[in-house]
Amino acid sequence: MDYDPMVMDDAEAMGPVVKISQADSVRVKYQLANADISFANSLRRVMLAEIPTLAIDLVEIEENSSVLADEFVAHRLGLIPLNSEGVDSMFFSRDCDCDSTCERCTVTLTLHAKCTGDENMHVFARDLVPTSERINSVLGNPIISDPDGLGPLILKLRPGQEVKLVCIAKKGIAKEHAKWAPSAAIGFEYDPHNKLHHIDLWYEQDAKAEWPPSEYAEWEEPPQEGEPFDYDAVPNRFYFNVESAGSLPPDVIVSEGIKVIQQKLAGLIHELSEGDGGDGMNGDYGGPRSPEYATGADGFGGYTTPFGNGGNQSSWGGAGGTTPYGTTPYGGGQSSWS
Amino acid sequence: MPRAKSKKEEPVEAGSDVAMEEAPPSHQPESRDDMSVDQDENGDAEDVEDEEMDEDEEEEEVQRVRLLPGSTPTAASFEFLNEGHTLGNALRYVIMKNPDVEFCAYAIPHPSEAKMNVRIQTFEGTTAIQALEKGLRDLQELCDVVSDKFIDARERFAASGSS
Repeated sequence: MDYDPMVMDDAEAMGPVVKISQADSVRVKYQLANADISFANSLRRVMLAEIPTLAIDLVEIEENSSVLADEFVAHRLGLIPLNSEGVDSMFFSRDCDCDSTCERCTVTLTLHAKCTGDENMHVFARDLVPTSERINSVLGNPIISDPDGLGPLILKLRPGQEVKLVCIAKKGIAKEHAKWAPSAAIGFEYDPHNKLHHIDLWYEQDAKAEWPPSEYAEWEEPPQEGEPFDYDAVPNRFYFNVESAGSLPPDVIVSEGIKVIQQKLAGLIHELSEGDGGDGMNGDYGGPRSPEYATGADGFGGYTTPFGNGGNQSSWGGAGGTTPYGTTPYGGGQSSWS
Repeated sequence: MPRAKSKKEEPVEAGSDVAMEEAPPSHQPESRDDMSVDQDENGDAEDVEDEEMDEDEEEEEVQRVRLLPGSTPTAASFEFLNEGHTLGNALRYVIMKNPDVEFCAYAIPHPSEAKMNVRIQTFEGTTAIQALEKGLRDLQELCDVVSDKFIDARERFAASGSS
């Protein structure tokens, strides 16, 4: 028993290990080892929802005689991935000093198409033309990855129909709207042999025969026959499969994801250290505390619920059936259930 | 027709509404006063002033970490605004790694409120706030290491692919 923790410490002392098994322009598959599941999951969540990218957010429609409604077209435009290289040096438009649009917070794209021939016309993302000043020459270009160089189909026009519109692309994160997601999907897997029993596999006769083995099954030792269950085991190796939607290359998604976590932490550390230098309320206890609560003069350390009543009465009656929200309008202040 | 009209008017003239307002005093506490003040302010404010107020609010940094009441130096609860499981779980793990920390846990009290609570209890010799700050810095270091390892792995992969 003396030895086991030592081994654990050694493995942990090595620190996290990253191994890439496959990488190309649309996906990266890698293994993160010697990390905790909580950190691996944070990384996964951040890559899914919190990496800033560029997407069309406003559409000014001058002419739309196509069969699709304006808002329908606007929605389709929003979902077109735009090249977000260099979006880091852009501002969120809510933080920008400009009045409406400027090259530091927006990219403007225009689309003007009219079907003049006899056949139906297809309008593709390549027909979106960036028209504003940009901080670099690729930022905001629609992502075109098909061999014909067309990009996603936006709409079709019958002879004589026309669309003319101006799109304003803004920086944003997928937490607000999925159109800002840099990743199409993120595979996240651990414990391919299900040694930890985190998964309860459904089966008819034999789970092993009926479920295909994971592609990572050969990366880890299969369980020995009759091996006792290890109650102390925790997941240790995580297999990520990050697939890009196009706006950022997959390796950049991973790096940016870590960066977003760090920015989150840096912001909080900054705020905490600021709070330390602030007013030392509660004697020597100068912690972070919002100003509205620091001004409370009652003996309760300045804490009152927004509903008044001092907030410090038991919710379970005793003081006349008061709830934390004040006296209930039903009981007239009389304890009806104590 | 005249009969119907008089019938309709009768309850109004009885003034039952007025009587109702006076009769049962609300058991809701006096927060109504605050609300009415707010409403007055909003009502008085012109559109231009509203915009100015919004700008002021944006400039004023909202405090995102708050110490919850009932906290002592070595056992404290913190409330984080606009944070969730992404930060909470990783932070909890890192803080628990600190040998001076007796207990650390996080919770999201209600899914529709963007709030995350962290409880930290430390042994003598350090405070919960120090433990929190150390946790944040340790997690940052962990991110640094993983970031470096990923860049190394990417370079190695690129090298192995080209050769």
